[in-house]
Amino acid sequence: MKHKNPLLIFLILCLVILIHRPTAAQDDLMSLLENDEETINYEYATFKTTKVVLGQSIENPAPGVLVFLIQHHFGRINTGAYEFFGLDQATIRLGFEYGITDWLAVGIGRSSYKKTFDGYIKTKILRQSTGAVNMPLSLSYFGSIAITSLKWQETDQTNYFSSRLAFTHQLLIARKFSPSLSFQLTPTLVHKNLVPTAEDKNDIFATGFGGRVKLTNRMSLNAEYFYVFPNQIVSLDYDDSFSIGLDLETGGHVFQMFFTNSNPIFESGFITETNGKWINGDIYFGFNISRVFTIVKPKTFRE
Amino acid sequence: MEHLTTKFTRNISLVILLVILAWGLNSCYYDNVEDLYPIPPACDTLNITYSGTVAPIMTANCNACHGSTDPSAGIITDTYSGLKIIVDDGSFWGAINHESGYSPMPQGGNKLSDCDLKKIGIWIENDAPND
Repeated sequence: MKHKNPLLIFLILCLVILIHRPTAAQDDLMSLLENDEETINYEYATFKTTKVVLGQSIENPAPGVLVFLIQHHFGRINTGAYEFFGLDQATIRLGFEYGITDWLAVGIGRSSYKKTFDGYIKTKILRQSTGAVNMPLSLSYFGSIAITSLKWQETDQTNYFSSRLAFTHQLLIARKFSPSLSFQLTPTLVHKNLVPTAEDKNDIFATGFGGRVKLTNRMSLNAEYFYVFPNQIVSLDYDDSFSIGLDLETGGHVFQMFFTNSNPIFESGFITETNGKWINGDIYFGFNISRVFTIVKPKTFRE
Repeated sequence: MEHLTTKFTRNISLVILLVILAWGLNSCYYDNVEDLYPIPPACDTLNITYSGTVAPIMTANCNACHGSTDPSAGIITDTYSGLKIIVDDGSFWGAINHESGYSPMPQGGNKLSDCDLKKIGIWIENDAPND
């Protein structure tokens, strides 16, 4: 009944190995810089913020930078005029993200959906670049734990703390094709410690597709779709998450407005617990606002 | 000094990471409700009344937001007359069953238990009497 997950152990071992690579790579790069005049031109701003719409983007907060994130979904548009097309209701997540180094970021957050706390790490493995190192795409690992804190529904039985936990592992594979077009592929594994029936899988595999098209210098169109492979979520009324939105940049803030069929705002939630259907009009209007605070001042500014 | 601080942050972050990973490894389970709790909780569907059955469910799950003072979205669930309005227009049943076109309720919470839903269903089928 309670086994360790060998797949998870394997993934984490990979992660530990991978985490050590960027440091080694950095040392190599330093020696490269000393000996060779050719420099590496990294691609910046594949996406505007650390989120595509709901899901993680390849971007990390810069080292020493704290991002305060307010993510807000209103209610369903098809609830009608009496509910002011969903605007009478709200689901919200407040979060902080911090860049520890240029390749490692951590984050915490709290959502009103199932009163969930979540924490995550995001680490860069490869960075898209030209010049001395020619790398066609960027690759990051994202890992998170979500802990629901709702009161137990059945108080007569033994309830385990472990039943509150869900884990998400993602590889973020992104490429900036041109200054105005970026695309991201996101293979995802969600592990839930407790599922309703024996037919439901505890390990749920999904793939995310995300993209960004720049409309003007301050505005871009983003879209995101998470495909969950079939026969994994059986007992719940479930639909794939699809979101489309606009990013607006105003110095220091990025304002993202979007329509989505997902109510939850954290990974294991919106990938596996979305139950709104676009064709029925179960659409949530929402926005993300992020504000950036520089905690540790950078020594030199990027040119 | 600068170098030392960077090294310190890096070490600290690695330690934190390892602690989280160690904890993560120890908290992974493959449970499902059917196997973990083979005997479903007993559901007594006899003698269902508004005061004895429905009102307590409302108190436990709904009235925190939908109480008579400052009710969320103007919907009141802590009085019979308030509840009757949404029972009659169907939005109560749609909301607690997470049906399309209704706001899933309780907002951000789990659906009510199957037993509670069954009891409310029986009460509504009996024309939602005020007893």
